[in-house]
Amino acid sequence: MGSNVNRRKFLVAAAGAGVGAMVPLRARAQSKTLVVATFPGTWNEAHRNLLAPYFKKRTGASVTQSIQLATEQLAKLEAAKGGRPPFDVAILDEPQVFDAAKQGLIDEYPEAKSPNFKDLFPAYQDKWGPKISLQVIGIGYNPNKIKTRPKSYDDLLNPAYKGRVGLTALNSQLGMAFLAEYNRIHGGNETNFDPAFTALRKLLPNVGAVAANLGAYATLWQQEQVDIAPYNFNFVQTLKAKGVPVEFVVPETGLVGWTTSLHLTKNAVEPDLAVQYIDSHLAADMQSEMEKPPYDIIPTNSKVPLSAAIMQTVAKTPADLSKIRGFEWTKINPQRTALIERFNREIKL
Amino acid sequence: MRDEWPLALPLAALFVAFFVAPFFVLLALSLRVDVQVHALSFAQYAKFFGDTFNLSILWSTVWLAIRATLVCLLFGYPIAWVCSRAPARFQSLLVFAVVLPILTSVVVRTFAWIVILGREGVMNDVLRALHIVDQPVPLLFTETGVITVLAQVQMPLMVLPLFATLSRIDPNLADASAALGAGAWRTFFRVTVPLSTPGLVAGCILVFSACATAFVTQTLIGGARLVYMPLHIYQQAVGANNWPFAAAISVVFTIAVMIVIYVLNRAGSTSRAYGDAR
Repeated sequence: MGSNVNRRKFLVAAAGAGVGAMVPLRARAQSKTLVVATFPGTWNEAHRNLLAPYFKKRTGASVTQSIQLATEQLAKLEAAKGGRPPFDVAILDEPQVFDAAKQGLIDEYPEAKSPNFKDLFPAYQDKWGPKISLQVIGIGYNPNKIKTRPKSYDDLLNPAYKGRVGLTALNSQLGMAFLAEYNRIHGGNETNFDPAFTALRKLLPNVGAVAANLGAYATLWQQEQVDIAPYNFNFVQTLKAKGVPVEFVVPETGLVGWTTSLHLTKNAVEPDLAVQYIDSHLAADMQSEMEKPPYDIIPTNSKVPLSAAIMQTVAKTPADLSKIRGFEWTKINPQRTALIERFNREIKL
Repeated sequence: MRDEWPLALPLAALFVAFFVAPFFVLLALSLRVDVQVHALSFAQYAKFFGDTFNLSILWSTVWLAIRATLVCLLFGYPIAWVCSRAPARFQSLLVFAVVLPILTSVVVRTFAWIVILGREGVMNDVLRALHIVDQPVPLLFTETGVITVLAQVQMPLMVLPLFATLSRIDPNLADASAALGAGAWRTFFRVTVPLSTPGLVAGCILVFSACATAFVTQTLIGGARLVYMPLHIYQQAVGANNWPFAAAISVVFTIAVMIVIYVLNRAGSTSRAYGDAR
């Protein structure tokens, strides 16, 4: 008898709990989750630690990160084409934006719904999605191991650095941009990459690691497996803040850069939240936070003054930023497949 | 028993929906010239087999997996044997120790190996402290490194099936063999090994297929200069966006792995038949 009562009580309680679970619908509408893509390294850390809390405060929604490179995002969006995309916000580097727009993977950015959009410098107000930053590459080196501060990419050829030089595979923008710059320095251009590969062959004896995975690249620096290599300014700053002995140098040939942008994916599950998320990234107060160490993300909002670290290394004024050398990606993109294949053949052990 | 076959239906449905069907999608994709062009063609396969670069990648992947499997066998067999002969209270402890690595994600285990094998890693520190080497030896981004890590990461797949068969062998058989005058090694090779063949074959098949397809370990420890099939497929599909070719090399790779598994299986049943005949 007692057990029966208990069971009945339990059922009532369970039913009560079931009804209760249905009541706070409003509360649950606020606990929506937005799935966003982000890059490995500095980016996922800044987005997790700064942008997600800011966005949560603004909308009540939380963020789930999906960490992947731009090329991986395009492949996944292409695979999901016609249905729901695996994430609502894509983060792309300059070359991938052309492809994503051409393949119909992203929507035009609804500027009207994004109050912070107009605060960006005009060059960064792209109709396919706002540019959130500029990424620049130069030389990263470990000052404990490399005693003379490198001056140019030619220093990577120093026989003393045998086995110490690192590279990344061409699926990352770091790998591709370095190849394009190495090509330019050695006399090539966007339609002729032969000089890059000739120069690369000379560099290979010094190369101790070609990371297949950009995420693992940071670990190689931490483990002092790589002591000198082409690297992103932001990534160096983030590693440095963690106590890793690494310094960034602008080579004599100058910096190379590209814009990075956020995009609303086609058929997004939560398009309004996605736009709010992107808009949060454009806000002056958000960009000021991201510009501080350890992220040092170069701002694109005209109301955000450049930080000391950025002015010292990258650009003294916002006008200088626009002078950083880029490449004609629309010319390089069609060769991407062939370049990756050639690179793999050249470097294979 | 006869009426119980419908119980297998859910599993069969799952298998058809999530393996057979996708495999046919892959096969169909591999027969295209281009993602947009729908005409049937063997162009992708011709491209694969017409290029020694691709064939060398296929061979180095199979050869890598064979070597990793042999290392696993070399270290796994004694462990499984000790487990099977240990007193009951130690046995569960030993088996737990064997299973322990599976409890962490393969990504975490592999990153830990970067710390161990790196130039400033534990391994090189030990070698230098013992004055075996003066300069750090490259271990990361070498095949030796990849094989070492694969063998450690996949070890439980070898030990568990071996342990299962070894512990079922009647210890009296070894005693009988000894009583009839056979030495320890002779008993081991003529009695224990043939009787443990099912576990041996199962272990080898599991380890081989796991090692051949171990994308994470191969790419993190091997880097981009040691290209194996999984990385090759990934680069074609994601980096180069060449899906038909990626699909074709996936199909070739699947078949190659299945051939090795078939050979191992045949070798297993032949040796069993041989054992039974005596």
